[in-house]
Amino acid sequence: MKNQFLKLPIIIFFIILFIFFYLLIIDRNPSKVPSALLNKSVPSFNAETLFKNKKFSSSEEFGGQVILVNFFATWCKPCRNEHVFIKRFAEDQNIKVIGINYKDDAEKAIEWLKKLGNPYSSVAIDKNGKIAIDWGVYGIPETFIVNSKGKIKYRHVGAITAKRYKKINQIIKEIE
Amino acid sequence: MAPTLGNLALWLSLVFAGLQLYNTRKKKKFKIIAISVKGLLISSLFSFFLLIYLHVISDFSVLNVFQNSHTTKPLFYKITAVWGNHEGSMLLWIIVLTIFNYFIFKLYNKKNFIFVSKALEIQSFISLGFIIFTILTSNPFERIVPTQENGLGFNPILQDPALAIHPPLLYIGYVGLSAAFSISVATLALENGEKFPWYIYMKPFVMVSWTFLTIGIALGSLWAYYELGWGGWWFWDPVENASFMPWLLGTALLHSLIIVEKKQSLQAWVLLLSILAFLLSVVGTFLVRSGILTSVHTFALDPTRGVYILLFIAILSGYSLMLFSSKSKIYFTNNYFNFFSKEGAILVNNIIMVVACATVLLGTIYPLLIEALTNNKISIGEPYYNSTVVPIMLPALFIMGVGPILSWGNDSGLRIAKRISPTFLITLLMTIIIFLIYKSYTFLGIAGIIIAFWIIFNNLTILYRNKFSNLTGMVVAHLGVGFLILGITASSIWQVEKIIKMKLKTETEINEYQVIFNKINEVKGANYLALRGDFLIYNKEKKIIAKLQPENRFYPVTGNFTSEASIHTNLFRDLYIVLGEGNINDGWTIRLYYNPLVIWIWIGALTMFLGGIISINKSLRKIIE
Repeated sequence: MKNQFLKLPIIIFFIILFIFFYLLIIDRNPSKVPSALLNKSVPSFNAETLFKNKKFSSSEEFGGQVILVNFFATWCKPCRNEHVFIKRFAEDQNIKVIGINYKDDAEKAIEWLKKLGNPYSSVAIDKNGKIAIDWGVYGIPETFIVNSKGKIKYRHVGAITAKRYKKINQIIKEIE
Repeated sequence: MAPTLGNLALWLSLVFAGLQLYNTRKKKKFKIIAISVKGLLISSLFSFFLLIYLHVISDFSVLNVFQNSHTTKPLFYKITAVWGNHEGSMLLWIIVLTIFNYFIFKLYNKKNFIFVSKALEIQSFISLGFIIFTILTSNPFERIVPTQENGLGFNPILQDPALAIHPPLLYIGYVGLSAAFSISVATLALENGEKFPWYIYMKPFVMVSWTFLTIGIALGSLWAYYELGWGGWWFWDPVENASFMPWLLGTALLHSLIIVEKKQSLQAWVLLLSILAFLLSVVGTFLVRSGILTSVHTFALDPTRGVYILLFIAILSGYSLMLFSSKSKIYFTNNYFNFFSKEGAILVNNIIMVVACATVLLGTIYPLLIEALTNNKISIGEPYYNSTVVPIMLPALFIMGVGPILSWGNDSGLRIAKRISPTFLITLLMTIIIFLIYKSYTFLGIAGIIIAFWIIFNNLTILYRNKFSNLTGMVVAHLGVGFLILGITASSIWQVEKIIKMKLKTETEINEYQVIFNKINEVKGANYLALRGDFLIYNKEKKIIAKLQPENRFYPVTGNFTSEASIHTNLFRDLYIVLGEGNINDGWTIRLYYNPLVIWIWIGALTMFLGGIISINKSLRKIIE
């Protein structure tokens, strides 16, 4: 009886370790957060744009094809890390990517994109974070997949890594 | 050159750790073991100082420096950035491990060669695990090509004196438990039974751990209090829990070691506790480093790191806990305790600490458990902990008030009553007075205040009666807990919060204070620009008692905005102001807090720390004897 009792700590410990291990190896994304906007139309908004000085109007931009919407800023380190993948979406996969420059300095953003390359078809300026609030963004970077009917199909919170890049590509293929 | 040397030193420490494992296992001569222990210490210290050097000279050919530093950063924060990031903090973990390794080595004397060698063998295994982890997955000396002109900067909210020394203190606490772990495993593996006084060796390490965990956690919470600008000081964040759990087990361990020492009973229990306390520290590291849960402390999302640490924990826990289940039988004794005795009180305290630890553990991993089983995400926060951990701790704290007064063995109810009656009366009186001042009643509030005064006055009585004795360390630490409870209770139940929009030259009130928004200016700091508000605080007699200047800072390098709360502190209350968003026309959002007695939380923690330091001294003397 006593011997059985002594094995209890190790049993409990290994159950906990097993849960950790399971969560580590499954294709899990701790930053996948359900969005209230899933399967809803994109929130409509108008904004200034970087570069082109023309107005950005969501009603003109969305629809007709699968579009990625990427919230970024020059002050955000993970945004810099994921930038190569954003570029690969635009260049290798030929996907239209709309950038939303969140609470940032326009001049700096332009300089940043010149240096790192600009994958965005257009960049809306979200100076005070209002667009981000409408989209339910809680921390950048965040990336949304919008289908050809202008409905939000997927949300990714945090930087896109190599593994996520593949996954998002797969989702885009499915949506198409 | 320097990065290569650093890398070399890191590899050298791997070699020395391997040598130590081999030499202690093969029971080589003392001199040979000494070479490997000292080599390990020197090489790991050398690589650590090289990393500091690289940060100081801003060598941006090193990835770690590039990612975490910038030339405009003040020298002090260039140094502290070394452990403000994942790779550097792993290196810090390693040097603390090797320092403790050296202290175990210093325990050698004529009688204990086999025992200390065994403990060093376990310790070198732990060191090996962490050194390999660092070299393979988190090498701080990794280069970046091409060399960058300037670094990415360092998160400005981490640029803070309290936070600069928080990780080293916390690590001394965590890693000190590794020594207790090694001693415990050595004891189990050697099977030399109760004859060998292993507990005397374990005690100073547990003392050091507990003392430094206490001050480390306290500094972290102090930082959260004035830097995060939320008016609170503890948020039950998973990473806070990761440090709180070893602390709870450390507290239980510390107290049961006293019983082992006096009565030679509870040995098996202490062996288990010391193993679990260290395993939980490593699990804490895993939770923080693997990115398995998201928290304000999340550092890196890297699954390979997670798998590695998990594997290491599996080996450590598998070996130690198996050993415990198969070999602990000889350490079981059938002793019965009288409830009204010091050991009875300590035993109750022990059970409660362990239950509280299990409750925190459950709350921390429950969301993960649910996710693994059902794929749903839930989060567990303050309400869970406040309604479980707090009531669990209350009886332990109450007993803590009398514990030190009780005698060993057998005590009678009447004698106890006689000893505590003066304290009882003062406590009652103080509680009534304080509630007359604050006039707000909740059950937890009343219980907390009574317990706080109960502990404070009981310990003051002992301190007064015994003057300086070998009890002093313990009494001082307990007194600290009393102050801590007083601060926690008062600031939780009587906090006043006010969030309003204020224009320049307008005024508002909080409690009996009048607050005038006098000015707002732009100021330039070392590596930031700031908007600084200027608030005048008047008391009831219309006299200015303070000028508070909260700031909104902008750090151009990292592009971060931070807000610096401004706080006026005295022993009775804090006035706390945070400047929010706004402009000259609409005014600014201002958050004001009135936090009664909150400073006593940190006075308490500091007192506990002092008590710990006094006790470490005492327990070290015992080994030398």
